[in-house]
Amino acid sequence: MLFFLGMFFSLGILIPGKLSLKLQYDGDQVLYIVPETLQQVQHLQHLCSTLLLDLWKPLLPEDMKAGEDLHIRVPAPLVQEVKESLDQHMISYKILIHDVQELVDQSTPRETSSNRQIPESYNYTQYHTMEEIYTWMAHIQNNSELVTQHYLGKTIENRTMYYLQISQPSDKNKKIIWMDCGIHAREWISPAFCQWFVKEILQNYESDPKIRKFLQNLDLYILPVLNIDGYIYSWDTARLWRKNRSLHMNGTCYGTDLNRNFNSSWGTVGVSYNCNSEIFCGSAPESEPETRAVVQLIESKKSDILCYLTIHSYGQYILTPYGSTTKPPSNNEELMHVAQTAAAALMEKYGTSYEVGSTSLILYSNSGSSRDWAHMIGIPFSYTFELRDKGTYGFVLPADQIQPTCEETMLAVTTIIDYVDQKYFPGEAMILTSASLGLNLCLTAVLTLIVS
Amino acid sequence: MAELPPPHSSASRAAALAAAYISHRHGSPGHGLVLRDVCHARREDIDGIGHKYHLEFVLEDIFEKDSTVNCTAEVLYHLGNKNSAPDVQFTIEGELKNTDEEDNIFYNQIKSLKKELEAENIPDSYGNVSPEMQPIRALAWAASGYVIWQNSAENTKYQLAQIKRVKQVKRTDEYLQFDYVILLHENVSQEIIPWQMTVLWHPQHGVAVTQNGRLPKHALD
Repeated sequence: MLFFLGMFFSLGILIPGKLSLKLQYDGDQVLYIVPETLQQVQHLQHLCSTLLLDLWKPLLPEDMKAGEDLHIRVPAPLVQEVKESLDQHMISYKILIHDVQELVDQSTPRETSSNRQIPESYNYTQYHTMEEIYTWMAHIQNNSELVTQHYLGKTIENRTMYYLQISQPSDKNKKIIWMDCGIHAREWISPAFCQWFVKEILQNYESDPKIRKFLQNLDLYILPVLNIDGYIYSWDTARLWRKNRSLHMNGTCYGTDLNRNFNSSWGTVGVSYNCNSEIFCGSAPESEPETRAVVQLIESKKSDILCYLTIHSYGQYILTPYGSTTKPPSNNEELMHVAQTAAAALMEKYGTSYEVGSTSLILYSNSGSSRDWAHMIGIPFSYTFELRDKGTYGFVLPADQIQPTCEETMLAVTTIIDYVDQKYFPGEAMILTSASLGLNLCLTAVLTLIVS
Repeated sequence: MAELPPPHSSASRAAALAAAYISHRHGSPGHGLVLRDVCHARREDIDGIGHKYHLEFVLEDIFEKDSTVNCTAEVLYHLGNKNSAPDVQFTIEGELKNTDEEDNIFYNQIKSLKKELEAENIPDSYGNVSPEMQPIRALAWAASGYVIWQNSAENTKYQLAQIKRVKQVKRTDEYLQFDYVILLHENVSQEIIPWQMTVLWHPQHGVAVTQNGRLPKHALD
C-alpha cells in the first residue's frame, strides 16, 4: 500500500503546475535496477539527467549507491532506448510496473473522456450528506487545476467551513463572483445547486466559449453549505430545521436565523428577538460564527467582488434588494433588468416561471439578510434566488427535480455572470491563454514523438 | 381600488388562500390544486368592512404539473375580527379533471383493508411519495385547504409542508375517516406548525374536516 502511495506522490511531483494538459502514463514502465559498481551508478545518473527520467527511488540522483536498488519511471517513448543503453552497459534490470497508466486507472475512478475532471461516480442528481460534500470538495480540488479549497471559518459546533475558488490560472487581476448555498438548513435543493454549478463549470470550461471567456476575468467563489450544523441536523433529526445550532436562553433554545443575523438594518423589521422563533435574529448583528466567517472573507475582498448570489428555496423568485426597506437601491433599474433577463433565460428551458422583484415588495419585510448586507457594503449585483417549487413539495423537493432545477437555474446564473463580465470587461475578444498555448505545444510534441 | 403587480406579496398571499379554499372545495384523492401564477390582482379597501382582493390566477395539479386551470376569485379579509375566516368566492374556467374512477377504486381499497391504514412522513425527507400514498396525500391537501382558509390573515401565507402521521379510523357508516397530524409552513414567520385534523371523505360527499386544532410546536419532538 505504501509503495502505491509513494508512486502517486512521485507522480504528483512531476506534474507541471501551470499546464492544463492532463498527463497520461500509457506504456510508461518502472524499472528496478541494482547497480553493482560506481561506473554503473554514474551511467545511471547520466541517463536520468540527459533523458529527464523520473527517479522514484532514491529521491535524488546523487543518492544512488552501488548495491542499493533504484526505481526509475521511463516514459513510453524512451523505454526502448533506455533498455538498450542498460544492456550496453551490462546493467541488469527488472520490470516492476509494465504499464503505469493501467495501475493508475485501477486505483482511481474511471474517467471516460479526457475533458472530464470530475469522477463520474458522484451523483449530482441525489441529495448528499455533509460528509459526502466534504469528500466531494476535497476530491474536486485534487482533480482540477482550476479549483482550490479554502478555509472560511468554523461553525458554532466547531465544524470547518470551506469555500471553493474556481480560477483560471493567469497573470490577470480578476474580479470575483460569490455564491453561497445552504444558509437555511431545510433548503436541500440549494447545496445541490452549488455542487451542480461547480461540476458544470469544470466539465465545460474547455468546450464552452462563454465560460472560457468570463473565467478570463472572473474568479468564482462557491460556498456549497453555509449553515453546516443546521444542514446536518436536518438530515439526522429534524428535516424542516431552518436556523443554525447556537444555544440560547440558558441552554433551553437553539438556533439563530443566519439570514437575519447580518449587519443590514439588523433587528429592525421582519425578525423576532425570541430564540423560539424561526426568524430569531440572534443576540447581536454577526453574533453567529457562520455569519462572521462569511463577513470576514467578503469584507476583505469587497473591492473585487462584483456579484453576490445567495441560493434558497422555495418559491421561484429572483429577489433584489432590499428586504429591510421598500426604498429601492441606487441601481434598481439595472438590477431588475438583469434579473428579468435571467428569469427569461431560465424559463426557456422547461417553462418554469420565476417572479422578479425586491424582497420587501414581493415577499415580506426582513432585516439582517446577507443579500441586503452585500449590497449595502457596495457589491453592485446582489441577488437572492428562491429555487423550485411553489409549494407542491416545498422544502422536500423530490430528487428527480434536482437535474431540471439545476439546469434551468444554471442558465439564470450564467446570464447574470455574463452580464457582469461584459459590463466590467467590455469589448474583450477571447484570447488564447498561455496555458492553452502550452497545451497545444505539448500535444504537438507528443504527437510528433508518437508518429516518429 | 388599487392595482397590484402580480408578484406583490399581498396578491400572492390572497391567491394562495383562494387556492387553498378551492382545494378544499374540489379536492379528492385523485388530485390536488396548487397556485402556479397570479395573472392579475386588485385590492379594494372597504371602509368598516375590510380589504377585498380581486384575483385572476392559474392553478396546477400537484400530481401533473401540466394540468392547469384558470380561476378568478374575490377574497375578503375582515377588518378587526381575527376569529372570522376570510370570505372567498371563486369561479373555475372550464372543468377540473374527473377523478370519479380513481376515487371509487381508492374508496373500495380502503374499505376492504383488514387492518387500518397507518403511515408517516409523506412525502419523506427526499420528497418521495409512494403511489399508494398519493391519494392519502391528496386528501390531506384538500383538508389542509380548509385549515389554511380558516386560519389565514392578510399577513400570512400557509402551505402544507408534510404529513407527519396518518391513521385511518374505521367507521360503521359509509365515510372513510383519517386522523392526520400535518406540518404547515407559514411563509412570513417561517414557522412549521403541527396541526391535527380529523378528515371524513366519501366519493359523493367530498372532503370534510370535522375536527382540527393546532398542536404545540414541539409536540412531535
